[in-house]
Amino acid sequence: MSLERTPVSVMVSEDRSSLSDATDAILAARAVDGDVRAFEVIVRRHGPLMRAYATRILGSNSDADDVVQDTFITAWERLHELQDPAATKAWLMRITSRKAIDRIRARRTDQPLGEWDVAAPESESPHNLAEAASQRERLTRALGTLSESQRECWTLREIGGHSYAEIAEELDLPPSTVRGLLARARQKLMQEMEEWR
Amino acid sequence: MIPSPDDQNYDLIAHLSDYLDRGENPPEEFLNTAPENRITYDALTRFRAVAQDILAEDVSAEPDLDDGWVARILKNIHREARAGRSIPVSHPSPKAALSLTEGAVRGLVRSAGDGVAGTFVGSCTFEGDVTVPGSPVTVNVEASVFWGERMPQTAQHLRDAITTSLLHHTELNIQAVNVTITDVHLRRNAAPDA
Repeated sequence: MSLERTPVSVMVSEDRSSLSDATDAILAARAVDGDVRAFEVIVRRHGPLMRAYATRILGSNSDADDVVQDTFITAWERLHELQDPAATKAWLMRITSRKAIDRIRARRTDQPLGEWDVAAPESESPHNLAEAASQRERLTRALGTLSESQRECWTLREIGGHSYAEIAEELDLPPSTVRGLLARARQKLMQEMEEWR
Repeated sequence: MIPSPDDQNYDLIAHLSDYLDRGENPPEEFLNTAPENRITYDALTRFRAVAQDILAEDVSAEPDLDDGWVARILKNIHREARAGRSIPVSHPSPKAALSLTEGAVRGLVRSAGDGVAGTFVGSCTFEGDVTVPGSPVTVNVEASVFWGERMPQTAQHLRDAITTSLLHHTELNIQAVNVTITDVHLRRNAAPDA
């Protein structure tokens, strides 16, 4: 066996047969059987992506770490329900989006319903988008101009790949509203990023 | 109800989005009807492309996970839930009642299997009443082998390693160790799985 080690495999509980080479399917099956080390590899492999996804749904990285912690704790408890262990990443993303949405709902509880779809503050409006370094930054800034619910719909659809029906269920909204919020979000993004046209 | 649109573009975006979200392309005739149609459609597909890469870019822009973060998660999971059945172990003193948990024996199987170069053991189940001493038990193991390994030979090595370990550490009456190769793995590099 090769002794070469990549930096990422500097693990707390590193082992000669570096489990980090194992597939998600094997790791998930081991974790179901109680192998914490295998679960640790899953956390390291997918944790950064789940944090990025949570941050996108939440609109900021405050609470993102908590969401990801909750996600993995739930994942450990429910791994036996995972039908196709090879689809671990998609499954984790679904848990992440649910946890992130729960956070947002909790935040919203003291807000009157009427303000639920309020636009982002004016200061977020991008007037110098052209100067932004990358498409990612430009899109991030443009997303900052969406209302919370528009951003959620857009993120679940375009990044999470959820269907209208799934988004409607997650956000507890009628599908027609989801369709409207999505179209609005896209319209606004297009306006903000006019130079893409 | 759909919120009232701010400009006439709204309907067009909603209409094109329906195609996009069903994973279909809008009909060419429709895109050719007006330049606006095509321009809008191109912009929508471009957003989608950026959106699909954005998480990977977010990840590379973020600092690496620190060990404390991972450790906090591992500290908060309930490990004892996976102990499974209790497997008796005999002892010369009639007063002593010793046992191993099924989870612990699975751990033995995994570590025996991982000791075979180029393999990882996945799930492991015991068929038979392991709680009754001497009951016939069949061990079913799923495993992954390193790409390029010779599977029949590797499966045999796994079977031998697992059998030896179980005979050495437990009193299970092993009838068979069935190994099913369910996966093939490669050496990964530092990049997280895409």
